[in-house]
Amino acid sequence: MRPRAAKRVPSTRASLIPAVLSLLLVATACGSGGGAVDARPSGPPQRGGELTVLADASFGGGWPTGLDPATNTTGGANISQMFAVYGGLFQLRARNDDGSGAEVVPHQAESYELLDGGRNVRITLREGLRFSDGTPMDAEAVAFNLRRAMSSPCTCRPAWPLADNGVSVEDPRTVVLHFTRPYGAAINSMPTSNANWIASPTALRQLGEEAFKITPVGAGPFVVESNKLSSELVLKRNPDYFEPGLPYLDKLTFKSIGGDQPAYQALLAGQAQAYEGLNTTPLLEQARSSGRLVVTAQPPTSPYVVQLNTEAAPFNDKRARDAIYAATDFRAISQGLFRGQYPVSQSFTGAGGLFHRDTVEGYPPHDPARARQLVAEMGGLTVELGTLGNYVAQQVMTALQTQWQQAGIKVNVHKYELSTLVQQFNSGKWQSMLQTAGAWDPASGVGVAFRFNSASPFSGVSDPALDELLNSAAATADPAQRQALYDQAGKHISANAYAPFGLAFAPANLATEGVHGPGLTTKIPPMLVNSGILWDEVWRERQ
Amino acid sequence: MTAAVATRPRLARVTSSPSLRLIGKRVLMAVPILLGVSVLTFWVLNLIPGSAAQQLLGAEATPEQIRALEQQLGLDRPAPVRYLQWLGAAVTGDLGTSMVSGQPVTGLLGDHLAVSGELLALAFLFSLGAAVPVALLAAFRPHGWFDRLSMLVSITGLSVANYVLALLLVLVFAVNMAVFPAIGFIPLSESVGGNLHSLVLPALGLGIPLFCMYTRFLRGDLVDQLQGEDYITTARAKGIGPWRVLLLHAFRNSAFGLITVVGLNLGTLIGATVIIEQIFALPGLGQLLLQAINTRDYVVVQACVVLFAVVTVAANLLADLLYAVLDPRIRYGSR
Amino acid sequence: MAVAEALPVQAPRPAWSRNLPIVLPAAVAALMVAACFLGPWVLPLAPPTGGNVLESYLPSFTPGHLLGTDPNGNDILSRVLHGGQSSLTVAVSVNVLGLLAGGSLGALSGHLGGIGDTIIMRLLDVLIAFPSLVLILAVAQSLGPSQTNTILALAFFSVPAFARISRAATLRLREQPFMAAAELCGTPGWRILLRHVAPNIIPQLTTFAMLGMGLIIVIEGALSFLGLGIQPPAPSWGNMIAQGQQSLSATPMLVVWPCLALFVTVLAFNLLGESLRSRWSGE
Repeated sequence: MRPRAAKRVPSTRASLIPAVLSLLLVATACGSGGGAVDARPSGPPQRGGELTVLADASFGGGWPTGLDPATNTTGGANISQMFAVYGGLFQLRARNDDGSGAEVVPHQAESYELLDGGRNVRITLREGLRFSDGTPMDAEAVAFNLRRAMSSPCTCRPAWPLADNGVSVEDPRTVVLHFTRPYGAAINSMPTSNANWIASPTALRQLGEEAFKITPVGAGPFVVESNKLSSELVLKRNPDYFEPGLPYLDKLTFKSIGGDQPAYQALLAGQAQAYEGLNTTPLLEQARSSGRLVVTAQPPTSPYVVQLNTEAAPFNDKRARDAIYAATDFRAISQGLFRGQYPVSQSFTGAGGLFHRDTVEGYPPHDPARARQLVAEMGGLTVELGTLGNYVAQQVMTALQTQWQQAGIKVNVHKYELSTLVQQFNSGKWQSMLQTAGAWDPASGVGVAFRFNSASPFSGVSDPALDELLNSAAATADPAQRQALYDQAGKHISANAYAPFGLAFAPANLATEGVHGPGLTTKIPPMLVNSGILWDEVWRERQ
Repeated sequence: MTAAVATRPRLARVTSSPSLRLIGKRVLMAVPILLGVSVLTFWVLNLIPGSAAQQLLGAEATPEQIRALEQQLGLDRPAPVRYLQWLGAAVTGDLGTSMVSGQPVTGLLGDHLAVSGELLALAFLFSLGAAVPVALLAAFRPHGWFDRLSMLVSITGLSVANYVLALLLVLVFAVNMAVFPAIGFIPLSESVGGNLHSLVLPALGLGIPLFCMYTRFLRGDLVDQLQGEDYITTARAKGIGPWRVLLLHAFRNSAFGLITVVGLNLGTLIGATVIIEQIFALPGLGQLLLQAINTRDYVVVQACVVLFAVVTVAANLLADLLYAVLDPRIRYGSR
Repeated sequence: MAVAEALPVQAPRPAWSRNLPIVLPAAVAALMVAACFLGPWVLPLAPPTGGNVLESYLPSFTPGHLLGTDPNGNDILSRVLHGGQSSLTVAVSVNVLGLLAGGSLGALSGHLGGIGDTIIMRLLDVLIAFPSLVLILAVAQSLGPSQTNTILALAFFSVPAFARISRAATLRLREQPFMAAAELCGTPGWRILLRHVAPNIIPQLTTFAMLGMGLIIVIEGALSFLGLGIQPPAPSWGNMIAQGQQSLSATPMLVVWPCLALFVTVLAFNLLGESLRSRWSGE
């Protein structure tokens, strides 16, 4: 045998590799630089073209139960797909491109009327609406869908106080909803609930539920060509869509993707033209400066909130809650974690939502000295803080932990799964939870009542006075009156130190150059999480 | 490849009746293994808190809503009853329908398996196809420049996490050079070229670490054989050329170690495919499994796990048989 | 190394040169271990958590933060060192547990042969056939993800690999004349296993364990990638990479530093394993 000379790979040389790798990484990452892209189109909308839109697999890109409005259980995340297939009775539009002047307007519905102070709602449909299978979309079809929606297991089911046999058909174009009490938010809550999406009863009967959830039939701007659940939804233009000349696009494809970073790369690689729901702040900044993408940061509507369980120790003691208010500095978190992209709220609405006020009178300021003093008075304070396990929320939780600890509070943090989070709430033993509260209209979706009304299983507060304020605000039809009630509720929460609010956060949408559309390249406040893109009006400039 | 050609004359002996009996025995033994795996899966899934109903409805659902959906999904029955019902149907080839989507599981499995199968096949093709010649060349002159280079490359490759590697591939080849797509899958039925094109980066992301591992293992084993084994010395003494010694003698013996490693790898690869499929947005088995676990869709998880077990058991059986074929000193019939 | 290479092959090499392939990677590995376990106490570093959020995203080579800071304003160097503690602890524990349990099971199985062999190997087949992801997920979600649970779950699934390698080596060993001689002399089975089998299969197992070190550190990261590993804010190289890669193109240095640390450490272990292996196999 041959004697061995010194052999092994020299370590010094080998360690050059990571250095080279990292250089490569940095070099490729820096890429092209310079300037924002002008979002405004160079001319009027053009017909034709195809578009692929990406959505995060863990949210909008997941539709595991299919797209039948009555059996889909992830409705809040699938508003985009639902709009493309069904169109919707109502939609949220913003009067201005900056997202201001937003209101819910009739879409497939022609008009609506609140009767008896909000106890009944009459909805009139447009004339000559047809599903893409050719059958008429009339009041009977709508009533059939509304009744089906009410029996849905989804949390996106309408939260109406509907009376028995509460849906009636007056004539072929008119449906009336009957409530047991006045419900002023009925129309505003429409676009986020599955009642907004009207499916063809004929197609449902012919296909059966299992096949229908894969290839649903509606009267929306697009028709389903193929549908791989939570992976790819291919839609083609519906030539019989009720709005003449719309939709602009010939083909629209939804694709699921594993997060912001791969989505950003796919857009740069030209594999898709739009991405819904960008959350990662550094990527948002990079996309802005890339010079290749249009970044539309939506006006935020849902602020973070630190829910405190006022029913159990330690937060049944107001001094503990005051200490948390004084120890929490969301301004620093917004500045540091989010680079000052999002404003801090003092109440349950964000700047893009209805009834928002920038400040709440008497909101306790950040005051670490006072927090320390309160903690000393109480003889120490130990707190369990939890949140649902997503990346951004976890970072916020970590920052809160640091701030509270600096004020002398001992903090244990917990990342919960969905099921363990719910267990915590059901057990009533939880202490504090980092959550989001609010919706575009505080009375709809995961609104203020969800986190603060004693009737909700996810509330940390049981206060009849607050319940009364929130219930009357939801029942009232008059906006000025609602504003006054919500102002009072905000003040009440702050005065009792029920839960400190944080920055209001809204995801951004990305689009490649030459793509335009309301909600995609103009601002529309998100009703729940993502902004509702009006897909029928999205168009592409010809290359 | 080389091994198969070299062993053809031996096949006649292997297929004689003791080996057939061995195959029969091993196939029979696979039944309790599969049963064990399915019971274990079911038990483990029941340990995970939260039901399909809970996962489907999200954080905003009330206990009443969850109970109602659980009833609808049949989740209110006790677990052993559900298992036996599942098993009863599975034996007849009916894997049931997904609790979440209501789609037949066999169809789901087929669609996703096609993607993962192709991905794995390409990754194996690439990694073995590259590792065998590289290892042979490296072992031909141990500690020569080629050996050093190949060790450097393979050790480097082994030290980079596959998710970092995948992201790096995307950054370089999809974003900067735009020669391959960053995400997505084009079915074979749509376009053969497009299909391969869409799988190049994921297959590399999966295959490069495998290539490194196989090169390292095979080269090490070859060098061992060349230095330590008597038959090599004998062969050399007979004046057989160094390439012939390497290919016909050392490689044939080292191949069975490699086969073990490949067989073992199948087990760990499911984890890698989950991540690679996630990064490249491929609708494969890994994605289906992860989704099903996340939605607590035990019917789909169960089917994935059992399918996976069948593949692994078959691969191990094959590896064991090839052992017998390749190493003349180990003969099952003679035990 | 280049010097050693240039020496005439016949010349007796000095001890330092012969030992260099072992000493050098061992020194690098020891340096990494020392840096991770002693560094935080010796160096004037900020703690790995509890940083000032207003000092977030500082670039590398900022005064006071050599490697910069993460989104929460924590010092990255401090996190890399503390993260190394968790990653190394997990990797070492998993491999030691796997080697001991798997190695002895495999050797026993190969030595016994017959029914015993069949039973052990079939039981391990069940483990191999069972996707570890499912169990690790179940463990993480029902017991809560933690370092101990991660170690146990990973070790559990590393047993079959060690066992198969050890069994294959034992089988090959059985054909060796000295084994037959030992058996003919009536040496008891446990003695054969301990005296003859163990020393001969340990080099192969160690090589695999050294490979395994890197593999486990990477897999721990993969678990973090799926949110199942060591939980932030506590650092591990895996979760640092997993978190940083969420904005890889914008903040590559969040990934580069833990990657480098991981890389150098894994490389050192790989080289060490390789050198030890050839030393033991009498090259």
